[in-house]
Amino acid sequence: MSSTYFITAEELAKNIEDKKPLPQELLSSKHLIYSSPATLSFNSPGAKGFGVKRAALAIPGSVMLLVAPTCCGRNTALLNEIGYSERIFYLLLDDTDIVTGRHLNKIASAALEIKEELNYTPSALMICITCVDALLGTDMERVCKKCFEKTNIPTVPAYMYALTREKKLPPMAAVRKSLYSLLKPRKRISTVCNLLGFFSPLYDECEIYPLLKSIGITRIGELSRCKTYEEYETLSEANFNLVLNREARFSAQYLEQTLGIPYIELTRVYSPQKIHNQYTLLGKALGSDIDDSKYLEKTLKKIEEFKSKHRSLTFAVGEWLNADGFELSLTLLEMGFKVSEIYATVGDGNEKLISHIAKISPKTRIYSNLSPTMLMYEPSKETDIALGADAAYYHKGKSLEFNSETQPFGYQGLNMLLDGIDEVLK
Amino acid sequence: MNKLLKHISPFAPDISGACSVLYETGGLIVVCDAGGCAGNVCGFDEPRWLKQKAPLFSAGLRDMDAILGRDEMLVEKLSTACEQIKPRFSAIVGTPVPAVIATDYKALEKKAEKKTGLPCICIDTDGTKFYDEGEEKAYYMLFKKFTKDEYKPKQNKIGIIGATPLNTSLSESKDLKKYLNQEAVFFSFGSDIEEYKKVLECEELLVISPSGLKAAKYLNENFGIKYNIDYPFIEPSFLEKLKESKKTLTIHQDVLLKALKDRGIKTDCATFFKTVQEDTIKLKNEEDIAEIADNYERIVGDISLKKIIPNFKGDFIDLPFFGLSGRMIYENN
Repeated sequence: MSSTYFITAEELAKNIEDKKPLPQELLSSKHLIYSSPATLSFNSPGAKGFGVKRAALAIPGSVMLLVAPTCCGRNTALLNEIGYSERIFYLLLDDTDIVTGRHLNKIASAALEIKEELNYTPSALMICITCVDALLGTDMERVCKKCFEKTNIPTVPAYMYALTREKKLPPMAAVRKSLYSLLKPRKRISTVCNLLGFFSPLYDECEIYPLLKSIGITRIGELSRCKTYEEYETLSEANFNLVLNREARFSAQYLEQTLGIPYIELTRVYSPQKIHNQYTLLGKALGSDIDDSKYLEKTLKKIEEFKSKHRSLTFAVGEWLNADGFELSLTLLEMGFKVSEIYATVGDGNEKLISHIAKISPKTRIYSNLSPTMLMYEPSKETDIALGADAAYYHKGKSLEFNSETQPFGYQGLNMLLDGIDEVLK
Repeated sequence: MNKLLKHISPFAPDISGACSVLYETGGLIVVCDAGGCAGNVCGFDEPRWLKQKAPLFSAGLRDMDAILGRDEMLVEKLSTACEQIKPRFSAIVGTPVPAVIATDYKALEKKAEKKTGLPCICIDTDGTKFYDEGEEKAYYMLFKKFTKDEYKPKQNKIGIIGATPLNTSLSESKDLKKYLNQEAVFFSFGSDIEEYKKVLECEELLVISPSGLKAAKYLNENFGIKYNIDYPFIEPSFLEKLKESKKTLTIHQDVLLKALKDRGIKTDCATFFKTVQEDTIKLKNEEDIAEIADNYERIVGDISLKKIIPNFKGDFIDLPFFGLSGRMIYENN
């Protein structure tokens, strides 16, 4: 058996600097994809966390009709366990349907039958379609229009097109657009903003709420906190949107075009200095000073305490966690810790981070979770703690998954991470 | 409406059935998909996935791969993985994507064998059928490809075909072995491809689910091995429960249903899957259960089916069925 493929940070940074193509082992389109438990959330997001099916039900009171072969809906049984069983219906396709597209004529009738089955009128009907309709070139706008005509329920497509996930508009970006597409223009209110990006809310303790309030924002909308359709509709009153996850950029652009709501992008980072810089820039963009000194000082103090308590720690950092694995690794290295291994996807603009990592820790090994050679992977013994559900899968010792559904952000996220590590190491 | 599920989730698809049979064989398995189908298999239908590593991969197809039918790229990826993993053979499992673009599996199989130098089987599952269809194809193709006629029968050795987590609702064959008093090989369940090669060592075969029948018939017709159809893994205490005289309908896989009747249980039988008994009621959709339920005082089946008949007044006895609901017999499975 050959050994597991990895590249050191130093080698990868040199490769990037020399503008050479990435090694094929790091490019998921060039090799088979290993479906280990470590990769499930991003290789097949429908199976864990928020995939298209669960995400598309974020509108309060909505239901879904999944129009697909049996295989696409099978793992939806997992969603039943967390309360979605009454909200998802299936129109199963047979072998003739997937070739001829004759199922398209049945969707509106199925929608009507669902409406009649329910003892309430859903706020929206999401029609979720899959690779089959991607290949058939189905005109979903037309299908949704027919459903609306038959049921009088606003109907929206949710494209679970796994085939297109490396395109400009991957499924998880497209579904965000679908979710906001039912918003109608309303009078915008200058003291209202929305947070876009996640399907769960930020932690209540996140400093972004008081910081925004400190500059006059009175209402901060988040789709995941909307309990009713009426609340959802108020999202169109926002004066601006804050995009906290780049997968929401397309929906923010859409809202700018359709409702005239501009947007500002922030990134989830764990470097305290970068968090501070972001808030400073956000304040400038909004024409107000955001004073985050209280949070910054508290966080810097916490880092010092953490460092003096855990003088020398070696981390393995994965990508199935609420962070960018490279950014988090760099932050840990800058704090003076070691990172022995990173399991991550190279690309998406993380080249600069890799160069910085290489300067501090040239021998850090970078693995591709999706590589078939991960089947033979044996974790290093030098690691004290693994961060991320994928890293925790590989390292059977101390680990912190740090992938809660409620989302960490900013100083709160960093503080929570340090507390979590501290707890694990106790 | 036919094919509209309003109360239960879809059953395990043919892709999962094929992968279930291939999982422990030592072959390199490629699900010919974009990621979602392999995710369904690994993240839901394959309970061994968390405790037992297997070289099960997604082809990672993208839209242009499908539109342009880039079989060469798939073979290249497969070949690279074979060099890295050193499997004993490779298997390509079909999904809706190759079905829509009408992939030529015969050609793909030949190309893969030429490139890797290893045997290859392509299983033309398409994700629209149920797991038993995929299992049947996989068993049949594995025996057809790998059976070696150099082996002689060993006294008292039997071969079990049809034992998978999907059929038995168990994740390990040891839970089945305790019911047998003789040397038994469970094909694909605690054994690898070597046992397929040595199938002629078996004095006879025991088919424990309808998905194993086609392979057993093939082995009987071509090599003269006898086969029986039975499911001897039923707890006596469970049989006792069913002996109370009530008009009963049992819904499960049909060999288990046959075994209940063979052991004196008076019940009508129904299944959504393949049958081995002529009088088993073939269910096509949720409404079929709703229509007949009231004719019975007792229904035995996976408890998830109860959602279809919320007003059923009789007894409902739970009989977990992983291929139907994803529920195992033991919690820790």
